[in-house]
Amino acid sequence: MAGTEAPRVEAVRLSRFEQLPWRRIILIILGIVVIGVVGVGATRTLTLGKAEGGYSAGAWRDFVVQGTAQGAIYAMIALGYSLVYGILRMINFAHGEVFMAGSFGSFFFADAYEKSGFLDRDPILALAIVTAVAIGVSVGTAVLLERLAYRPLRNAPRLVPLITAIGASLFLQNTFRGFFGPQPYGYPKPVVLAGNITVLGVPVQRIQLLVLVVAVICMTVLQWFVSTTTTGRSMRAVAQDREIASLMGINVDRVIVTTFVIGGVLAGIAGVLYSLTFEQVQFTMGFKPGIAAFTAAVLGGIGSIGGAALGGFVIGLLQAVGPPLILTGFGIPSVFSLKDAFVFLVLVLVLVFRPGGLLGTGEAEKV
Amino acid sequence: MSEPAPVVGIDSVLEVRGLEKHFGGLYALSGLDMDVRKGEIVSVIGPNGAGKSTLFNVITGIYEPDAGDIRYGDVSIVGLRPHQVVKLGIARTFQNVRLFANMTILENAMVGQHCRSKGGVFGSILRTPGIRAEEERIRERAKEALSFFGKRLSGYRLEQPAFSLSYANRRRLEMARALATDPQLLLLDEPTAGMNPRETLELRDHIVRMRDELGLTVIVIEHDMRVVKGVSDRVIACDYGQKIAEGTYDEVAHDERVIEAYLGTKTTDD
Amino acid sequence: MAASRWVRMGAAAGVVTIFLALVGLIGGFTDVYLIGDQIVFAGLMLVLPAFVAGLVAAAPRVEGGERHEMQLSEAMKAAAVAGAVAGVTFALAVVLADWIGAERIRTVFLNVSPQLMEFVNFGQATGPGALIIVAISALAGVIGGALRVAPRSVRRPVTAAVMVTLVFGFLQRVIPIALDQLKLERDWLYSPEFDGLTWIGAVVVGAVAAGFSVLNARFGERLRGGLARAGGQSGPAISPARLVAGLVGLALLLVAPLLLGSVISEVLGTVMVFALLGVGLNIVVGYAGLLDLGYVFFFALGAYSLALLTGATLNAYGIPPEPVISGHLNFYVAIPIVMVIAAAAGALVGAPVLRLRGDYLALVTLGLGEMVTVLVGSPWLVPLVGGPSGMRGITDAAIGGLAFRDPQRFYYLALAFVGLAAFISWRLATSRIGRAWTAMREDEQTADAMGISTTRFKLLAFAIGGAIGSLGGALFAVKIGSLTPASFQVLVSIQVLGLVILGGMGSIPGVIVGALVLVGLPGLLREFEEYRFLAYGAAVVAVMVLRPQGLVPNVRRSRELQDEERAQDEWAKAVEEGETSPEIATASGATT
Repeated sequence: MAGTEAPRVEAVRLSRFEQLPWRRIILIILGIVVIGVVGVGATRTLTLGKAEGGYSAGAWRDFVVQGTAQGAIYAMIALGYSLVYGILRMINFAHGEVFMAGSFGSFFFADAYEKSGFLDRDPILALAIVTAVAIGVSVGTAVLLERLAYRPLRNAPRLVPLITAIGASLFLQNTFRGFFGPQPYGYPKPVVLAGNITVLGVPVQRIQLLVLVVAVICMTVLQWFVSTTTTGRSMRAVAQDREIASLMGINVDRVIVTTFVIGGVLAGIAGVLYSLTFEQVQFTMGFKPGIAAFTAAVLGGIGSIGGAALGGFVIGLLQAVGPPLILTGFGIPSVFSLKDAFVFLVLVLVLVFRPGGLLGTGEAEKV
Repeated sequence: MSEPAPVVGIDSVLEVRGLEKHFGGLYALSGLDMDVRKGEIVSVIGPNGAGKSTLFNVITGIYEPDAGDIRYGDVSIVGLRPHQVVKLGIARTFQNVRLFANMTILENAMVGQHCRSKGGVFGSILRTPGIRAEEERIRERAKEALSFFGKRLSGYRLEQPAFSLSYANRRRLEMARALATDPQLLLLDEPTAGMNPRETLELRDHIVRMRDELGLTVIVIEHDMRVVKGVSDRVIACDYGQKIAEGTYDEVAHDERVIEAYLGTKTTDD
Repeated sequence: MAASRWVRMGAAAGVVTIFLALVGLIGGFTDVYLIGDQIVFAGLMLVLPAFVAGLVAAAPRVEGGERHEMQLSEAMKAAAVAGAVAGVTFALAVVLADWIGAERIRTVFLNVSPQLMEFVNFGQATGPGALIIVAISALAGVIGGALRVAPRSVRRPVTAAVMVTLVFGFLQRVIPIALDQLKLERDWLYSPEFDGLTWIGAVVVGAVAAGFSVLNARFGERLRGGLARAGGQSGPAISPARLVAGLVGLALLLVAPLLLGSVISEVLGTVMVFALLGVGLNIVVGYAGLLDLGYVFFFALGAYSLALLTGATLNAYGIPPEPVISGHLNFYVAIPIVMVIAAAAGALVGAPVLRLRGDYLALVTLGLGEMVTVLVGSPWLVPLVGGPSGMRGITDAAIGGLAFRDPQRFYYLALAFVGLAAFISWRLATSRIGRAWTAMREDEQTADAMGISTTRFKLLAFAIGGAIGSLGGALFAVKIGSLTPASFQVLVSIQVLGLVILGGMGSIPGVIVGALVLVGLPGLLREFEEYRFLAYGAAVVAVMVLRPQGLVPNVRRSRELQDEERAQDEWAKAVEEGETSPEIATASGATT
């Protein structure tokens, strides 16, 4: 710029250094490393003999079954994340606690029924009641969350509801800790669900079969609900454009609450299934499944129902099959102790490489 | 007073060729060509949605074009990040004033000088003499840029937060911030939107001063034809992401296609 | 209908009281005496919700865009109703509990103990007990309402008196020790029998606090102006109250360990470590606006790298005690290396990750933190960091013969590092770099468009914040002398984030106060230790829902902008018409 005493602006050129597309380079290097590790690890594991720690075909089959069942539970929780994100564009960080609440709430009934023998005399009815209680508690928690913590913040910039959700998650966890104590409680398992059953020649735990069946039913019902019913249509409308939907006469508040309710129902059912599988409840039990489910939702493209379902199964499988497949090849001991770290790693990688999800565009939506 | 060393080629500051940008099914730019010569003030007019702001966004690197080239001097700037584009000498203002509302007026202007300074971590922590001198220089340059608009953005005002300014002053501050980046080319996006007639005419004079006193080349997106008439060396009219007419104000104002595009939204002539 | 509003408030307050009882905050504290032998913490918890209900019920209403202050009689009625309803709600719950049988409820809700039941029934049978509850709650509500409608000149001193007295009551384990050290009489202030304040002491403390409040109100403005003129500024100076508080606080920080003995100094040492972490995270979250949920990453990295560099040994069985990588450096030589490692790790990890949108970034950092948590406890890394049994034999940072593991000495070491970090942080904040961060935080896209390479500055914040975090980890390792993975859980990240947020993002004194309150108080008051995170969670939600201004610039901006725009437009019009000179008008209409 001209000026009597102002210094001249020197000719400006960008250095070669600055012009490199650093972002892409880093991503490419990272991608190569990841693929390399996965490839090398998997090959080595699969070529290991029995004595060196290799896995039999039966072991792999068990891993797959376990991963699928676990994935079904993750899918149901993931749906809650996706639905809420679709409608409110926020991550309900406290959804893991909604899951925990249902499970914990149902525990006292399940425990009482086991002690009185009702659980084994009439497992279907007993479990139905237990599940109903779980649904009730989960839904109640979800609705309270929406009403008290999220509704006032509907138009706040995105980080505020997230921080609030973190606070709510802490609060809920510690509320349950305060009410019921920090120790884990043993969740009963009815006799009819103990043991294995052979399906299509594959030995499967009975509880795993139940989980799969229930999950598939729930997801089918949900899909039908969202695509056919009026409420489902309203939900899709609000997810597309909240303002216009309200101008079209849709009661946005009610739709949002409905979304939270649905998420709560699914989480409650998932809670019972999870506790029946792992035979335990504790106030911290929501955290890790919550993160796994969130990863699943993002993996499948957050906001998408099919994506959340798909993502759930993928994450479940990755968690069950990944560590043995990839890490054993490197001689890492006790690979299953790292299965949580594995999920977290997947979370990081998904967000780094494809925040829009596997089925997405490769970019998170623009702010 | 000698001319500042030109960054760019002899005459041409900006060359845009075949620029395309679409968002899903919406084609914001579909094959736009444009030339801007050194020392010109070029106005870009067109109905809303014609792609004008998108043009600015693509030039400054906020969006990457789907096709086409943009040459600044002899260098293609497609694919550069916005902060790199600023460093090369292209500055801009925004249609909806985007100030750093909670920073003071002086600080807003000082941000403009960011790309002209170095200030590393260790130097900043230790407050070396070099750093202190640079801060002083940044401060002075910022004040200089602010003083372009007279006494309004000076004195005790400098320490006031930007959100306390009146609307017109906010627009001026945004321009001062852009001036503080020591640009060669300045892109103004609807600078007079929301201003009253008196402020508008004043700004029109400011734009001319930018070219005359500061040696800038200016591209202005405008709707107010009094301003367009008063500042432009050339006018480019756009519609549906393409150039539909080019020439002096009178030529373009009477061009059939332009009139059709505007469908009767004529403002009163002075 | 206004009355339904009061009833709803009262009912909500009653539910909160039930919640407090179920979670254990009443039953467990029936013998924590705050004042004399009458005011116990449990009692406070019992009436606090009703009090707040009364406070809120008597608040001015906003109707049709205007504030309506309540008439005294109406306010009192509202407050009484709200308080009474709160009492009724809770009383009904108590009656129900008595009817079902407390022992049966106890099999589910662990805190419905005999102590609780006796306390809430005031030692009476169910009927009279319930009536007492209703009466006391109504009274609490009325007091709340009265406070709300009282003129400011009354409300301020009373609030100050009550708050300060309560604080003194809470610090019953701390202040008497200090007084003992200073060889001052303490029995008049703190009851030797009940541990809490004596009534005389409470009255004195309250009166002094009220006095200060009145003085600040009366002379504060003048002092502020005088200070401003002396300092040559035209803008608002620090309020004298704040300045005094700051200096006193600083002095206290310097002499605390000497006054308070080694038990408390140990807690203060932890406070300082967290304050250091807070200063570091403050750069990432408060300056650069990046929500980092995985700060434990740097904490663990710093602790374990220091251990490895200074020759600590593994605790695990069946393997040689020397880690696969081991150095034997002096603490002070190792520290810069630790920080460099952390900064490099931060840059490496940050590079692919920091470009992500705010909420995704938060979750990625959470994932990274969690990975580190799992890894340090994993069997795989046992030869390096000892697995679940961890490491021991960490250096005591001795200079010459002076070792720093002693609680009081360690406090000063930590304080020194906090000072260093605070200095670095402050210098950065007031430099070009800080300006770039602030601009990025305000509007990232515009900052980029103004020449600030957002990626570079985000990386810088992340790396520097990480380096300071690693420093905190290293100090922590020295303090404890050994390391176990249990110390490196996600809760650390959340705690540090909590104290940065609640202490006021971007403010270093705020971070230190945050550490004192959020880490120090639970540390000093062991009974409350359990409820720490419950309080955090509630506080974060409350702050975000009720007052996010000052924490998130955008929210503040949009509210205040509108006020100011209106005022400015009016003033601009007046200037044009030559009616006023061009000076700024504030939203309240005053001109400067």
